[in-house]
Order: sequence, then structure tokens, then C-alpha cells
Amino acid sequence: MKKLLLASLCFVMLFTTQIYAQTRTITGTITSKDDGLPIPGATVRINGTTSGTQTDVNGKYTLKVSSNSILHIAFIGYTPQDIAVGTRTVVNVVLVSSSKQLGEIVVTGLGISKAKKTIGYAQTTVRNEEINQVSPINALGGLEGKVAGVNISSVSGTAGGSTKVILRGYTSITGSNQPLFVIDGVPLNNSTPGASDNFDFGNNANDIDPNLVDNISFLKGSAASAIYGSRGSNGVVIITTKKGKTGKPVIDFSTSATLTDVAFVYKPQEIFGQGWDAHFVLGENGNWGPKYDGVMRPWGSIVDNSQLLRPFSFIPNNVTNSFDTGVELNNNLTVSGGSENTTYIFSYGNIFSNGILPGNVDDYTRNNASVKISSSYKDFSVDASLNYVNRNGQFAATGQGPTGVGTTFYENILQIPGNIPIKDLRDYTNKFFNVDNYYTPWAENPYYNLYENGSRAKSDRVYGNVNLSYKFTPWFTLQLQQGADVTNFGDKIWYNVNAPAPGSWGAGANTEGGVRKPDVGAVTEGNYQLFEYDTKLQGLFVKRFNNNFDINGLIGANYNDRGGRTLITGVEGLAIPGFFNISNTSNKPTSSEAEAHQRLLGFYAQATLGYRDYLYLTVTGHNDITSTLGINHNSYFYPGANLAYILSQGLDLKSSALSYAKLRASYGETGSDTGPYNIYNVLAATNVGLVFGNLAFPFQGVPGFTVSNTLLNADLRPERVREYELGGEFRFFNDRIGLDATYYSRTRKDQILSVPIAPSTGYTHEFVNFGAVRDRGVEIAFNATPVKSKNVTWDFNYTFTHSRSIVTQLPAGLDKVILNIDGYGGQFVAVQGQPLGLLQAPVPAYDSQGHIIVDSQGFPKPAAANGTYGTFQHDFVMGFSNNVKYKDFTLSFTFEWDKGGKFYSGTADLFNFVGADPRTTYNDRRPWVVPNSVQEVTDASGKVTGYKENTTQITEANVDDYYYTNSNKAQAWSRDILDRSFVKLRQVSLNYNIPKSVAHKIGAQHATFGVYGRNLLTWLPAANHVVDPEVSNYGTDLASEYGEFRTAPPLRYYGATLKVTF
Amino acid sequence: MKIKDIKLKAIFTVAIACASVGCKKITDINVSPNNPSITAATPQVLFPSGVMSTAAGVGGELDIIGGIWGQYWTESTTASQFRTIDAYNLQRQDFNATYSQLFAGALPDYQLAITKAKASGQNGYVLMATVMKAYSYEVLVDLYDQVPYTQALQGASNLQPKFDDGYTVYKGLLAEIDAALANPGSIAAADQKTDFLFNGDISKWIQFANTLKLKMYLRMVNAKPAEAEAGVKALYTAGGNFLQTDAAVNVFTDATDQRNPLYAYTVFNLGAVDLRASNTFVSWLKANNDPRTVKYFGTANPTPIDQGFYNAPQQAYPSYYTATAPALSATDPVYFISTAESYFLQAEAALRYGVGDPAALFNSGVKAAFAQYGLAAPSGGVYTYPNSSDFQTNLRAIIYQKWASFPNSHCIEGFFDQERTGYPERSAVYSTNQNYVAGEWVYSKNGVTGGKFPKRLVFPDLERSTNSNTPAEVPITTPVWWGLPNN
Repeated sequence: MKKLLLASLCFVMLFTTQIYAQTRTITGTITSKDDGLPIPGATVRINGTTSGTQTDVNGKYTLKVSSNSILHIAFIGYTPQDIAVGTRTVVNVVLVSSSKQLGEIVVTGLGISKAKKTIGYAQTTVRNEEINQVSPINALGGLEGKVAGVNISSVSGTAGGSTKVILRGYTSITGSNQPLFVIDGVPLNNSTPGASDNFDFGNNANDIDPNLVDNISFLKGSAASAIYGSRGSNGVVIITTKKGKTGKPVIDFSTSATLTDVAFVYKPQEIFGQGWDAHFVLGENGNWGPKYDGVMRPWGSIVDNSQLLRPFSFIPNNVTNSFDTGVELNNNLTVSGGSENTTYIFSYGNIFSNGILPGNVDDYTRNNASVKISSSYKDFSVDASLNYVNRNGQFAATGQGPTGVGTTFYENILQIPGNIPIKDLRDYTNKFFNVDNYYTPWAENPYYNLYENGSRAKSDRVYGNVNLSYKFTPWFTLQLQQGADVTNFGDKIWYNVNAPAPGSWGAGANTEGGVRKPDVGAVTEGNYQLFEYDTKLQGLFVKRFNNNFDINGLIGANYNDRGGRTLITGVEGLAIPGFFNISNTSNKPTSSEAEAHQRLLGFYAQATLGYRDYLYLTVTGHNDITSTLGINHNSYFYPGANLAYILSQGLDLKSSALSYAKLRASYGETGSDTGPYNIYNVLAATNVGLVFGNLAFPFQGVPGFTVSNTLLNADLRPERVREYELGGEFRFFNDRIGLDATYYSRTRKDQILSVPIAPSTGYTHEFVNFGAVRDRGVEIAFNATPVKSKNVTWDFNYTFTHSRSIVTQLPAGLDKVILNIDGYGGQFVAVQGQPLGLLQAPVPAYDSQGHIIVDSQGFPKPAAANGTYGTFQHDFVMGFSNNVKYKDFTLSFTFEWDKGGKFYSGTADLFNFVGADPRTTYNDRRPWVVPNSVQEVTDASGKVTGYKENTTQITEANVDDYYYTNSNKAQAWSRDILDRSFVKLRQVSLNYNIPKSVAHKIGAQHATFGVYGRNLLTWLPAANHVVDPEVSNYGTDLASEYGEFRTAPPLRYYGATLKVTF
Repeated sequence: MKIKDIKLKAIFTVAIACASVGCKKITDINVSPNNPSITAATPQVLFPSGVMSTAAGVGGELDIIGGIWGQYWTESTTASQFRTIDAYNLQRQDFNATYSQLFAGALPDYQLAITKAKASGQNGYVLMATVMKAYSYEVLVDLYDQVPYTQALQGASNLQPKFDDGYTVYKGLLAEIDAALANPGSIAAADQKTDFLFNGDISKWIQFANTLKLKMYLRMVNAKPAEAEAGVKALYTAGGNFLQTDAAVNVFTDATDQRNPLYAYTVFNLGAVDLRASNTFVSWLKANNDPRTVKYFGTANPTPIDQGFYNAPQQAYPSYYTATAPALSATDPVYFISTAESYFLQAEAALRYGVGDPAALFNSGVKAAFAQYGLAAPSGGVYTYPNSSDFQTNLRAIIYQKWASFPNSHCIEGFFDQERTGYPERSAVYSTNQNYVAGEWVYSKNGVTGGKFPKRLVFPDLERSTNSNTPAEVPITTPVWWGLPNN
């Protein structure tokens, strides 16, 4: 890696040598002061003459001048400037906007800067200050709740875990709903290597150092992303990094220290303590014992004839206290500057984090080193950037551990009765808490899991690009861009081997004779090599014809080559405890390799025609040829068009309260191909599932291959996404109040689904083109500046998002597509005519009068088919942000309110099983008859002939069974499927601009000090006292919306930051 | 716009021109490097794969349901994994994995192996794969009463196969076996190891085929007595060449993913916390001083739980909490038809149709059943053929011995036999009652079917939700087509 870095640096340095031209041809770049982005199409005229030119798409111009020329530079929405050329050969000009709305420059598809007013779709750009306001370690981590139609959440409470980003709603039933991430014009690999229900090692888009990001643009709709063709169907997140600026070196230093703790944990009942069947049992892992009485009692195992003593009473904050306070340090040093022709920026960022788990079992470090150099010589310019990211993290397993191999911290901690002090168990080698004598044979000491099991993930990644650009004429520029993103990721997961010693408490010498199952231990090593190379050749043109018409367009071709190689090897059954190496076993290692490789060749064109600076029509076309579809279906075309009408320019509204008004309308098509290798039918190496465990070939030296259970399909066609969008932007009272509203309707058709088919066909799944999902929604952004005075400014932002995805079509004969399952019988499904993502699970059977039918034991009978508990989709998402500036102080805070929707909680399931859920105290746990219940009356043949009133009680011995999934299937999900609503105080920050006079004393130009918090407060509905609905260990796509299975709690952050510019 | 349109067109024309040249190169990379093409399949890799899928079903999850419904075992008081089985509380969501494993895992492998072997003239594989296909199919149709057969296994060309009644499936399978037996062929020396049952010994496959046919005809004695008798007699006319060895998969070792399926499932993965000795079986073993007790339960004096009483409180039933688990080992074979089972089938045929000496065959069966555990067969009592003039007394003796021979790996057969013959009898009282007769089946303490015993499985959700030809749901207490009426 080092060699590659040096070679690239040399290459970049070639262009930094300055060459002084002796002609009187000057060049320069016109940029906007607000955001530093280049202004394309700005007029550069020599005063008093007719000669002049305009800037190209990169904001650059070239003009022949004489030494006494005075340049007049103008662009609508900006204050014109007159500049004397003097003896300079490079004249860069920064324009100041006169109207933010008319002048705002934003980054659009393919990284092209454009005046925002010219685009006919909703577009949101956020700038560096906002991204870094609360010092997140991920570029999108500080934007939760701030952008309408952009749903950002962290699914994992682990430092280094993934950030979920979904633009608008979900439309792909079983494919990807992930937006395309593009950094400086090059697609970024956003995979999550090594991810499983047990581990989230983070998504690759999280690698970007937020300090280095200049701005992020969200292209939510298909009209905006149509230019990306097959890659743009879920929207595009365009990240533009900072560039150096002409001038002497500027050093930016920022440092943040953040403390983390648990934001929310489940709240157990405080009435009943350890035991089962209403009796106190020393070795039980449940809260089914007698009521707490505060009397001193022995607890735990009997070791050397001794036992521990403590009052039989509920321990408050037991779970919270089982965690520690974590720390997160975020440092960045950036040096930038440049001459008139060449600018540079060097940046080094370092993240260190130690999470909330006690000890160093959840450390995370990340190093980001970046260099970016831009240089121009006459009409030729070059940009190059190179980024190196190294991350290294340790993660504790979530969910259910691999059976037979080991267990997890979160599952074990749930199984500790409320009277046992969890914190004490940290001393996991203590004779009362060790493998032999842990108080219960039914679970393991959670701290054993932390310190004897573990995982490590390491990633080395290089990404960057080289951009060559040549201006043939003032209006036409040719660009060649080569990008690369290469990752080498490795993970290692280990579970130590253990077994209670013969004769010990855990080996059967306990109150119930239970034997704690030995863990055989395991080591797995995975290596993931990911690559993505992207080449783009495009011509860009911008021309003003006369006062009436101007055109801004591009035409190009794109070649994308991406894929990866994976090799995973593991052994089960360790010989020497604590030695985690593939060699340490009597078993043969199991190994699997997989490759994925696909190519996409695209041709595209786009043109924006402007009329009198108030009416803009953009048309787009993109044709893709993919490697993943059959030869007859692999070339396809996507059109798009959008219209922007700036009402306030077209009509004279100057005297009204309306200061700016724009109407937008757009239509766009995108789509997607499929993954590689879905065309030709295959065999698979035989690995027979046993529900628990597997039989894997070879057996006794005999190999086995089986007909793959999935039927592939050579007739697959590309998926189609069609979307139209209507919207408007309105500003009142000199922009003091603004409203941006959008309505969209997106339909994804011909979805490539691996649909389940009847096993009697000999297969379980078939790839087909079918299924359509329509997502309609409204996005509203309202902002106001209620107070604006010399000392005080108060900005208020409100966002409202409502989206609803409906499944409009499924393959004939298929009544549902299963998106996820929970392992007990609950399913997350797509059903025709219903919202995408229904939670369906067992429900009680009812008679025609609505009585619950119970079985002969008095337990509700499950109905023959699953019932629907609701959809995961929120009714709405609202964000409230406030920004109050008082002199040098700025106070900001953001609330987010997500209302409605359901999710499944595997934590709730175990929480009920162990009798910790407050609901399990119903009727004081005394016998009862299920209210309003009946029993079946049957004839001799077993046929139901009627119903009679039920008088069979749920007995005291059966109260616990009433709350198990296995023994009361009919009602288990009514306790496990919870309301998804929440209100969160997403962030609060208070920043203080240190007065210049003080800053100067330390040699700085300016300095800022701030304190902040993220995720500070969480309010959940009364019905959910178990788990934060945002966490999940089911990944970051649609399947994750089913819920969670005993995952880590969410985190709360609070810290301080200092930013100094020298 | 005109100019632009022309430009666009030009570009796309060029693009398509490029594409027609470039396309080939682009799509060339879409052949999977991860999996062999289906055209590369051979019987040598498909057949052992199918056998292992069948073994996983019969010797795994189906062995658990057979073990509990056959009253060898019951769910522990301190665990809950199999409570729904023990309470006869099975729904559409249950047993989907095994159904899918047999239909989409085992059967297509046999089917493709047969097609490939026929095409290449490898008749030995045709016979082996046909027998295994019939064996696996029979298990399915015995559990579900009806399954797709005539339209099954056709992939995309028939996505919703119709269901065939059990008798049609039986006739079809018997015809397939006969066709394969007509030209049995052989197995090349190099391929012998791909046969986990008989190491490529086709003469034993012929015996397995005959014994399977015998078993299928005997299944039909209630529903199709004439066909049953004719079928059995025809087998004897043809020489009565039945198994004298075990048809078993005996390749399991205590290594990762190589363990006996029941052991892997319940012991290695679930920690042996669920299955416990049932008082039904233990009471019979104790009453008869059966020396196999120690082999079945690891102790000569196992502590049982009464069937289905998994929620008994510890204070009242302390012994339940120290109940004995079945003695399972990672290296146990999975039996498809054991030697003992072959003899007991022959004994029943001899008893019914006079085609042999039932007493001698009974003795061979008992001897083989004990030899399976390295024990000498006791004599006297239930271990001696009653030679009664009463048909039922003799049949009862055979079926009881058969039932006692099936744990630990072939329990499902014990469950089927009860449904077919009514033995062991159903007890009028629970096994805690002083009038309880050892070995008689008791209704689960937590049964939810109103005193009626389970006799089948409900059609799984995987099939129902994708195949509109799935018949209406039938209660699990309704006998399958060959079941003994009023049992």
C-alpha cells in the first residue's frame, strides 16, 4: 500500500509546478462565497468592450485581456464585481450572493455544480458546519432528523456500527434499497462485509471522515438520479470533499471528546424475584419466583459449603449498571492552501473509541489520510485525490450465539433475575461466578462472553480519483475521470471452549440437576476483497445564446467494473482453551469461497435549456448495458425530464410579500439489473440443514453436490422505476419564511425476486421478474427566522415526511413474499394490495361471536393462519431544528418524532420468557380463566360442532407457560410486536466563537469551542418499555425493519469540541 | 433541441454499435465461479447428497416427532423446544424445514441422478436412486396422506403441482421400483464408496427394494387388503429375497457437521436439555427387564417423566427434574430399514399370509434387535412368539418387539406402526394411575386435541402459501389413508 501511495503522490506533484505564461490571456475560477462551489455560466466581460466570455461547468474561464482591462463579472443572484486585471495571469473571483435562492449553487448528478434554481426536482444540500455540528464520526451521523425524505439512523449501539440511510421509502421487495454513495464523482462501495445477526462491523460509507466533507447532496427522486441509470434507482448521496484554496497555508485543527452511555434499556417488573413456578429456585434464570420480601437469602451456587447472601429484593438500575461509560475521541488536522494555479489539501483524521462494554472489548479506531490536489494550466486542469482509511475494531456478539459453540452477552444478561447484582458478575473467574459455579445451568456469565469470546475487524481501504479536464472552447469542456475504491477487509471471530467441571454446580450439582451445555468453541477468519473501478468520459457544455436562452448540458460514457472475493475459513471445537487459531482443533476446517464480478457500461446525456433565467427544462437519457442479464435483455434505456419555473422572476412580484417562488415538475426512470450469476442453473456443494446444525459434505472422502434449491432464470429483465414529482419553493418577507413542498410517486416494477415456490416442484425459490411497489409521499421543509437582529438570530427548521409503500403486484399464486422471519413463526412479508412490510405472526383463533377459543389446557389456540399486526412504516416523520445565535454563541437542537408503525422485538420475547416483563405480573400471577374464552365441542370424528364457555384456568404452575412463545403461540407476538413510535432529542450543541483577539494570541485566525450531545433523550410509547425501535441486528435494508433479536442498546453521546484555524 | 436530439441519437447509435461488439465481453463474466453448472451433474455426486438429505429428515426432526409421538421420549420439565410436539399442538408453520429438505433437497437429487444414470447406462445408480426416492417419498406420503407426485419435481414447468392421494403415490412408487429392479446393473469399483449403505453391493439394493415393497404392501392391509396380499405373495413367489443386513447410513463421526443428525440437533446444538425418557417406554422396559435399557438411556434404571407432563412443578414431582435423557452418540447410524425391522416385517407377512414361519422370523427379529446393541436376546415372556391361535395376540407380540427396537434412530416407524396396527394399545388412564398397564400409550398430559391422538402432520405453510392445489387442512387426529379405523 505504501508504494502505491508514493507513486500517486509523484503523479500529482507533476502538475503542481507553476508555469508562468507570458501571453495576456488570463484564466480564473469564479466561485460562490456561500459554499465555495464554482459558478458555471457566469459572465466575464471587459468593461467598455463587447468582448467577454462565460465560465465553464467548473466555473473556469479564459479571456484575452490587456493590462488596463477591468473585468465585469456577473451572475444572476449575485452582486456583480468589477476587477482590475493588472499584471495577473490568474484572476479568481469570489462572488457574494444577493439572493440566496437565486444564487445558490448545488451539486447535482455526476457531481456537476448547478444553480439550484435551474433544477426541477427536490434537492437538499447540507454543508460542512451542519454535518460536524455535533462531531459525529460518520459523515451522515449528524444529520438524523434534519432532511425531509432522508431517513438516517444508527442500527447498532456499537462504536463503528452501521448507519442506515434510506432516501424516501422502500420500493425493492427483496433487492437493495440502498442509495448510491458518490464521492467526488466516483461511486463508493457501501457494503457491510462480515455482517450477520451477531456482528455489525460497519458499512463502508462510514469510512469517510466527516471533517473533510464540504457538502452532501441528496438526490432523492428518479428525475435527479436518472443520469445514474441502473445505479440511481434508490437515490444518490453525493459527497463532495473540501478543496484547498489559493493563499497561504491554512491549518485547521479540530478535536472532540465524547462520552457515551446507554440511552435506553428495558425496564423489568419489580415485584417477583428469582425462581420458577412461583417457587424460589437457586439455579433458575427466571423471575417466576415469590414476591420480593427484602429478607436476607443465600443466592447463587454452593461452593466449598459456602454461599453468598443478599436481601431478596429488586436491584434498581441493575442492567444500566452492567455497562460502563464509553469514550470517543475525534481529531482532525487539515492543511490546505495553494498558488493561483494549484491548490492542495492534506488531511489526517483519527477516531478512537471505547464503547460502553466494560473493558477493551469494544474498541474502535479509524485513521483517515487524504490528499487532494487541483492544478490548472491554461485550458487544461487536473484534479486528483487519494484517500487511505484504516479501521480496526473489536465487537461483542449480539443476538443468539451459534448453538453448540457459544453464547452472547446480550442474551445472557436478559436471563439474570432482578435480585442478582449483574455488576458483581464482572469478576467472572471468581469461584461463585466462574464456568463451574455460575448460579444457573441455563445460561452463562455474560462477562465470560465479553472477555473469553470476541471478534476483531480490520479494514484497509484506498479510494480516490484522477480527473483530467480540457476546455476546447469557452463553452465545451471534455473530462476524463478514473476512480477506484479498493478494500481489503478481514474479520476474526472467536468463542472460547468451556465446560463445567464434573461434579460442579454447572455440571448438574444444582437444585434442578440441570447440566450447563459445554461450549465447544470456534474460530472463524474471513477475508473480503472488494473493488470498484469507474471510468467516465464526458463532454460538458454551457452556453448563453442571447438574453433569452442558455444551455447547460453534458454527454458521456461510463464504464463500471466492480466485485469482490470472499474467503471464510473456520473451525469448531477448540483443543487448547484461549488459543484462537484455525490449527487449534481436531476438526477439519470448513472453508467457503465466493466471487462476485459485474460490469456496467452506460451512455448518457443531459441538457438544461434555460429561458430568460426563469424557465428551465432538463432532459436526461441513460442507456445501460449490464453483465448480469441475458444477452437479449441486457441493454436498456432510461429517460428523464424536469421543469423549473421561477415564478418570482417570470412575473413581477417584487412588491408582494412573496420574495421567491419556484414551481417544479419532473419525471424520471431508473431501474436496476440483478446481481451476478442469477441466469444459469447450478449445483451447490451439499450442506443439509437440520433446523439446529448441519450435515456437510464430504463424508468419508465422498463429495456431494445437490441441485440448487433456487431456480435461476435466463429471461430476467431489468427492474423499472418510474417516478414523477411535483413541488415548489416559496419564500416570504425577504426570505424570512420559506416553504419547500414535494409530492412524489415512485413505482418499481418488474422486480427481480427470488420468490418462494412450492417445495414439491423440487425447488424452494425461483428468480422471476414480478412484483410492483408504489411509494407515494409528501416532503415538506419549512423554515423561518423569527428573530433577526444585530445580536440575535433565531432560525427554525421543520421537516415533515410521509411516505407509504404499497405492494401493487405479486406473482400469480403467491400470496406473500417473506422478507424476514424471527425463528419462532413470525414473519415480515409483502402482501399484494397491502403496505410493504407487514408483520404477520400467530394470532388466537376466535369463534364467530368473537370469543377466544382455548384448548383443553385453557390456553388460547392459534388460528390456522398467521394474522397481521401492522406495518413497519411510520405514519410520519417530523424533525424540529432550532438554531439560535447570540453574539458569539450558537445554540442548536433537533427533535425527531417518528409516529406509528410496528416492529418485532426478540428482546421482548426473552424478556417475557424469564418473567421480567411487567405484563407478566397480570392478576398477581394467581390462576385465571382467559377472559371471554370458549372451548370447542367436538363429535366422535373430531369435528367441531359448537363451543362452550371455558372454565379451565391457567394454573399457577402454568402462569409462566402463558408467556412462552412455545406454549402460548397464539398470544406471544402480541407482546413481542411493539409500537415503533418515538420522540428523540437527536442533538443539542452550544458553540462559542472565541473572539478574534483571543484567537490571535495563540496565533490562530479563529477558534470555536462547543459542547454537544446526541441522542440525549428518548421517549417511547407506554406500550414499549423494552427496546428502542431504531436498533436492529438484521442489517441496514428492508429486512432490518422487521425489528431486532436481542441486540445491543442504543447509545447517548455528550462531549466537547475545539476547532482552531491557523 | 433539434441539434441535441441528433447528437443524442448519434451517441446512442454509437453506443449500441459498441454494445453489440462489447456485449459478449461484458456478459462473458456471468458464469458463476462459485457453483458448478447443473449440466456438470453426475450420479456420483448427486446420489450421496440425496441419501444424506433423507438421513437428515428421517434421522433428525422426524426422529424427534417419532420419538415423542411414539412415546419413547417426552419433553423435559426444564426446557421447552418440543412442547408443541408433545402437546399435539402442531401448526402450518411446523416441520416446514423437513418437508422442504425432503422435497427440494433429496428428491430432485435422486430424480436427476436417475435421469443422468439412464442416459449414461449406469443402471446401478438408477436402482439405488429409485429405491431411495421411493423410500423418501413414502415417508412424506405417510406423514401427509397426500402429496404431489405425478406432477411433482418439474421445476418451472409446473409451479403448482396437484396433490395425489396416498394410494396413487404408492402404486407409482412400486411401479418405479419394479422398473428399476428389471435391470439392476452394477456399480463400478471406483464408485462404490458413493454408496453409504452397501458400498455398491447391488444384491443388497435388490433386497432393500424388496423389503421396502414388503413394508409398503403391509401398510395397505387396512385400506387395500387384496392388493396387499397379492403384492406380498408376489414378493415371495419371486423368491422372498429380503434384507438380512441393516439398510443404514453409518458414516457419522464426532466432527464438525459430520455428526448423527439427532445428536447434532438435540445434543450438540441444544445441549441435551429437551428429550427425556418417557414413562410409557420405560415402564415397558422395566416390566420386561429389557437389557437394552442401558443402551437406550445409559442407565439400567432410567428416571422417566410421564408423557407430556413437562409443566409439572418441581415440588410435587421432583423426580421429573432429574429425568434421564436418551443415550445418543455422534456416531450412531441412521437406519432406513434395520435387520430386525426386516425380520419383523417378514414375520408379519408370514403370520398374515402363511408365506413363512412367523415364530422363526420373530425370533430372528428379536435376535437382530438385540444384536444391534451387541446383546444376546433374552427368551421367555414378551421375547418369545406366543404362537397363539388368536391372530391379534401374535401381531401384538410382533409389533411390540418392533416398537421396542426403533429407538434411538428410527422412532418414526414406531409411530406409523401404532397407527396401522393399534399396538401398543391406547391406555384408558394416565400413566400415573395405578391401573396403568406398562407400555400402553397415554394421551399427553398437555394434549390439546381433546383426547384424540395425532396421526399425521398438517400441510406445511411453505406449500400452502405457494401452491393453490394444496388440499384443505385436515386435523392432525385424522388417520392417513392406510390408518387403522377407529384406532
